[in-house]
Amino acid sequence: MMLANYIGAVALFVIGFYAMMVKHNIIQIVIGMGLTDYGLNLMIVSIGFNEGGTAPIYTFGELTSGMYFVDPIPQALTLTSIVIGACVTAMAMALCIRLYKEYGTLDARDIRRLHG
Amino acid sequence: MNYDIYSHFPVLAVMLYFVGAFIVTLIGKRRTARNIVAGAVMLISLALLLALVGPVMLDGEIITYWMGDWEPAAGYAIGIAIEVDALSLFFGLLAAIAVALAGFYSFKYITQDDANGPFFTLFLMLSGGVMGILLSGDLFNIYVMLEVMTFAAVGLTAFRTWNPNAREAAFKYLVVGSIGSSCILLGIALVYAQCHTLNLAQISAILPGNLNPTTILAFALLFAGFGCKSFMFPFQPIAADAHGAAPSSVSVLISGVFTKTGVYGIIRVSYFLFRTMGLTSIQTMVVFIGCLSMFVCVTMALNQHDFKRLLAFHSISQIGYILTALGLCTGIGIAGGLYHAINHTLFKGLLFLVAGSVLYGTGTTYLEKLGGLARKMPQTAALFMIGALSISGIPPFNGFASKWMIYQATFEKAAETGSIGYALVTVVCVVTSVLTLASFVKVGQSVFFGQLPLEYENVRETPLSMRIPMWIMAALCVITGLFPEQMIQYVIGPASAAVLNVPAYIDSAMGAGYAALTMADYSYLAEPVISFIGFWDPVSWLVLFAIVMCAITLASLMGKRSRGAVTLADDERHAVFFGGEAAEYSHVAGADLFWGFKHNLRGYLGFMSRAHSGVTNDYVIWGVCALAVITAYCFIFI
Amino acid sequence: MYLVYILIFPGLLFSTVFGLYLAGIDRKVVARMQKRTGPPVLQPAYDFFKLLGKETIVPGGAARRTFLIAPYIGLASLIVTVLFIPIGGLQAFGGMADMVVILYLITIPSLAMIFGGSASASPYAGVGVSRSMVAIMAYELPLILVLLAVGKAAGVNAVTFSLEQVTLYQQFFGSFLFDWRLIPAALAMLLVIPCEVGAHPFDVGEAETEICEGPLVEYSGAPLAVFKLSHAVKMFVMTALFTALFLGGISTGMLWLDVVIAIVICTVVTLLCMTLLHAVTARLKVEQMFKFFWTVVSGLALVSLLLVWFVN
Repeated sequence: MMLANYIGAVALFVIGFYAMMVKHNIIQIVIGMGLTDYGLNLMIVSIGFNEGGTAPIYTFGELTSGMYFVDPIPQALTLTSIVIGACVTAMAMALCIRLYKEYGTLDARDIRRLHG
Repeated sequence: MNYDIYSHFPVLAVMLYFVGAFIVTLIGKRRTARNIVAGAVMLISLALLLALVGPVMLDGEIITYWMGDWEPAAGYAIGIAIEVDALSLFFGLLAAIAVALAGFYSFKYITQDDANGPFFTLFLMLSGGVMGILLSGDLFNIYVMLEVMTFAAVGLTAFRTWNPNAREAAFKYLVVGSIGSSCILLGIALVYAQCHTLNLAQISAILPGNLNPTTILAFALLFAGFGCKSFMFPFQPIAADAHGAAPSSVSVLISGVFTKTGVYGIIRVSYFLFRTMGLTSIQTMVVFIGCLSMFVCVTMALNQHDFKRLLAFHSISQIGYILTALGLCTGIGIAGGLYHAINHTLFKGLLFLVAGSVLYGTGTTYLEKLGGLARKMPQTAALFMIGALSISGIPPFNGFASKWMIYQATFEKAAETGSIGYALVTVVCVVTSVLTLASFVKVGQSVFFGQLPLEYENVRETPLSMRIPMWIMAALCVITGLFPEQMIQYVIGPASAAVLNVPAYIDSAMGAGYAALTMADYSYLAEPVISFIGFWDPVSWLVLFAIVMCAITLASLMGKRSRGAVTLADDERHAVFFGGEAAEYSHVAGADLFWGFKHNLRGYLGFMSRAHSGVTNDYVIWGVCALAVITAYCFIFI
Repeated sequence: MYLVYILIFPGLLFSTVFGLYLAGIDRKVVARMQKRTGPPVLQPAYDFFKLLGKETIVPGGAARRTFLIAPYIGLASLIVTVLFIPIGGLQAFGGMADMVVILYLITIPSLAMIFGGSASASPYAGVGVSRSMVAIMAYELPLILVLLAVGKAAGVNAVTFSLEQVTLYQQFFGSFLFDWRLIPAALAMLLVIPCEVGAHPFDVGEAETEICEGPLVEYSGAPLAVFKLSHAVKMFVMTALFTALFLGGISTGMLWLDVVIAIVICTVVTLLCMTLLHAVTARLKVEQMFKFFWTVVSGLALVSLLLVWFVN
């Protein structure tokens, strides 16, 4: 079961990079960035997963030895990472809107005043 | 001596920037109040870090602070640590100084912009992010701060609404930068999967012993990710775009501080976390990348027509020097690299501020349009000369002292390993240095000397509040150049010792004796030996120079009777000889220069110029290729 | 004693007088080779004093301070450089600057001329500045290769940048000029000298017939005299550097005799690499010169470096 997660994560990662490398539409580039990010999130959360573990939520005194739960830290990391990813996407979309207004196109090949 | 009180300083230094950013947003458009808050925040943070110099740099103490008092339990560091050793403090101080000077410069500088309210919010966020990375002892914390920093930097790049290129630069920066961020995050996830901890010190204790495919991949990803943040080759095009579009005071931060976090990350990753820098193959890789960055960027810089874009390429070229030196993994190499890091921040900051002043005065940084500004802005021209001579490594300025150490380090490494490749690295360093000089001669000739275009007849000298930070930077350039021995003893020495003194870093966080428990074999040189194969005594040179100068002056005073008069004339009779051309068409500037050089290297220069195509996808492809090559290299040779 | 070193020998007085004398010999011998009588040997000195007496005109449009200060900075730094080069075993100030530092110090005078010319705002100076800079780029690559080859040869098992150690090594094991591995490097150095000094056939930066002496076009009076003097002193510095690098092993036991021999060698080297080339060649084009230095001369130096590295 975990293998599928990892394969999925890597696939998302690779598809994201593929979109960033090959797609000339800047919206598609942003989508590629998003996909990369989802792949990463899936990867991190899978790393912390223990087969058959419970949710890591306990109050004082409940925790005894022999209890089996998933690693909480990657979940915290994933939450942070999702938030950051959402911000990146929002910022990139904002820039896309401005770029469309200024250049009249979404084609990355035409948005190249800065070169050489 | 009790250092308890000091342990709160680093976290305060980081927090203050963010609190300041928040308050500045609340203040809004009231300029005086905003400047007071921002200035106070920058100065207090600088003071807090300066207060740490005594215990950390001089006494060799390492300060560990656990956020919320979550100290390690049962041998696992769960809480988030702030850990300040001499290396962190070294970069932190550098950042604080650059931030303070650039901030004070911006008070006046950004008054030209229509939306200067959010400027200081983003500026302080950027500074806080940088400081967070440099002082943090937690890997994920570093990632979060990196994102905060990148965000603020992208925002500031897109900040100038009247600059038509700003959004484009910001978008490319965000996209290519996200490759780096993704790599770092994936690397952190893999490291966590191996070690089940995010604490830098604990990872450094556990990880280096077991190099399996996961950790090798993690190393390659982290290295490439931090390399992307330091804009090493092949990530340099986005740096050029971002610097060109951002306000100059932000360029100071991006080049002087932002790229340093990348360098700092590379040091932490390869000297601490994985300790792969001891391997010959990794040394070769880092030195090779450094040389490529150095040479490619300096030749690109010779091709540029825009002052700030040219400076941006030089910035990466100097990062190449730093990487090369750090990749040698010898005492003098590390010391030279760190020394060059200081100098890079100072002279690059100075030059960006000069470019900002030119932009402030004339409204353009296009080399072909400018000229003759030395007559209108004599102090700015003098500051430019100091910066240009420093970065080109002309003695006795600071660039020379560190470059000289790097030459020795590479040449000594060549003798040590018996490989002539390192001697050729020395040659590349020297050639890069002279090409740097050439491109600054180009800037001098195009911007400050030559004919003054008619539209700039009324340009005035930079305002005093902008000149003061520049003079401070210039003074620091001279001081760090004149006293290399003292610099090495008090600043560079402790920092480069900290680079190699991993056990102390681990013990400070995890409790004494932890390093000895878990570290299998510690095959590093514990105390860096800084051995010179040459000598250079700038103060004596200066004294001799002064004596000779006095002698020449005396001689010319004694012979005054027989000497001709000096005529300073602006009339037609004494005008510059043009040979019949109209004056406005005969300024030799920008692309006109260095024809013989460009002609001979036209194939290479043309290829490079076409390769920097400006298409976002191409830059992503470069980055991903670099990542793939680094990963493959690590798998084959580790 | 130090003051004597700085002001008289080998510092200010000696280096200027000897530089002017070298320049005079150069002109005289070139003239003899071309079957002319030529000027007297003291002609450069006469020119110098004559120029001092002329009016200095600062053109309108120039950046005045840079324009007037540049020549003096160049001369002073050149004279300080002389103090760091051992002349026949006599080193005025040891332990202060090594070969790489000297490599950088000798660019300062060229740089002073570049910025001085640049400050004059003349387009001829602009072209001259560009060409002088290309000349610096051209010779720097072979020069560092030569220095590294010598540094490796003199370091025995390690390497060194110290000119003192280079001299000492040669006193024990014989001069490097007679070491077959280093002969290509010596040839490369002989070709670097005229380029660094800006003499025929590499005087692209000051080409009188094309760009009216380039950076010097607007100079007159005392600053021009100082530039001419720097030019002469540079000949001495470069030949002295050559002598220290490749002929430092001549030791008779008497210091004054060593010094005299070194000075004679300087003259011979000047005759060899500057006068001879000057008399028999025409000026190269900028791109030809650059190509020549980055291929032929660098190749020679690289061959030496490889030989020194791999052949014991």
